[in-house]
Amino acid sequence: MFCPQCGANNADTAVVCAQCGRNLQTAAPAAPLQVSGTVQPPVVAVQNYLVFAILATVFCCLPAGIPAIVYAAQVNGKLQMGDVAGAQVASNNAKMWCLISGGLGLAWVGIIAIYAILIMVGVLSGIHAN
Amino acid sequence: MRTSVAGVRRPAMPGSRWAAKFGAMPVAKSVAMLAAVAVGAVLLELFDPATSGIFPPCPFRYLTGWYCPGCGSLRAIHQLLHGNLRAAWALNPLTVVLLPFLTYGLASSVLFELHGRGLPQPFLRAAWIRALCAAIILFGIARNLPMHPFDLLAPGATLLR
Repeated sequence: MFCPQCGANNADTAVVCAQCGRNLQTAAPAAPLQVSGTVQPPVVAVQNYLVFAILATVFCCLPAGIPAIVYAAQVNGKLQMGDVAGAQVASNNAKMWCLISGGLGLAWVGIIAIYAILIMVGVLSGIHAN
Repeated sequence: MRTSVAGVRRPAMPGSRWAAKFGAMPVAKSVAMLAAVAVGAVLLELFDPATSGIFPPCPFRYLTGWYCPGCGSLRAIHQLLHGNLRAAWALNPLTVVLLPFLTYGLASSVLFELHGRGLPQPFLRAAWIRALCAAIILFGIARNLPMHPFDLLAPGATLLR
């Protein structure tokens, strides 16, 4: 599990966070960072994979890239509200959709490559048959 | 504006053991990232996706017949690498706009893998990211509309005039 205070990864059975010492048994929600209309950037950075989400959308596979961007927005939205644990969940989802999009993109390249090779082999054997 | 700087290096996601091992190898990961970008850039410099057959077609366009927001992006990068900003803009303005940010973000990711600390980045509010997502989708829809002036957004449309 990820410490809601500092974001460090701890064993699921950990009682206190190994890095900051926060009690992990009572997961009290962190105080919202939004004060009187101004959003303070959170102290803890949780990866939102936005760069990879956009790359995935524009260069790989649009349908799987869009959820990655939506989850990237969710990561920062949760961080704005001080919900680091929620942001971590959204971060994992963003990463998963980036990987799905990347995988589909690679699979597509593979399919096209095999198709091209088959055509080449077909053409060559055609030449030999004639 | 305060900047949020990437903090502690996060351990690999639970997943396959190979992925966990690979995720724990920051140097291998960043080398792989850089190699992918370098190979892509060299291929795009040497071959024009508009005329050479070595680049796969856009799966979205191939399967649906519609342009996606990224259609023309490889051709646009080829033109950018050859200094033709106007041709690149005509092929995919979205790519031309986003490319500097994506390059900066990728560089930051590589530095984060190597040093545990990326380049300074402003904290993007969720609403801004959602707006960007909406802009990408709307761009994708608009460039398929058959009426003027939206038809000018189709890849390379203004080059034919």
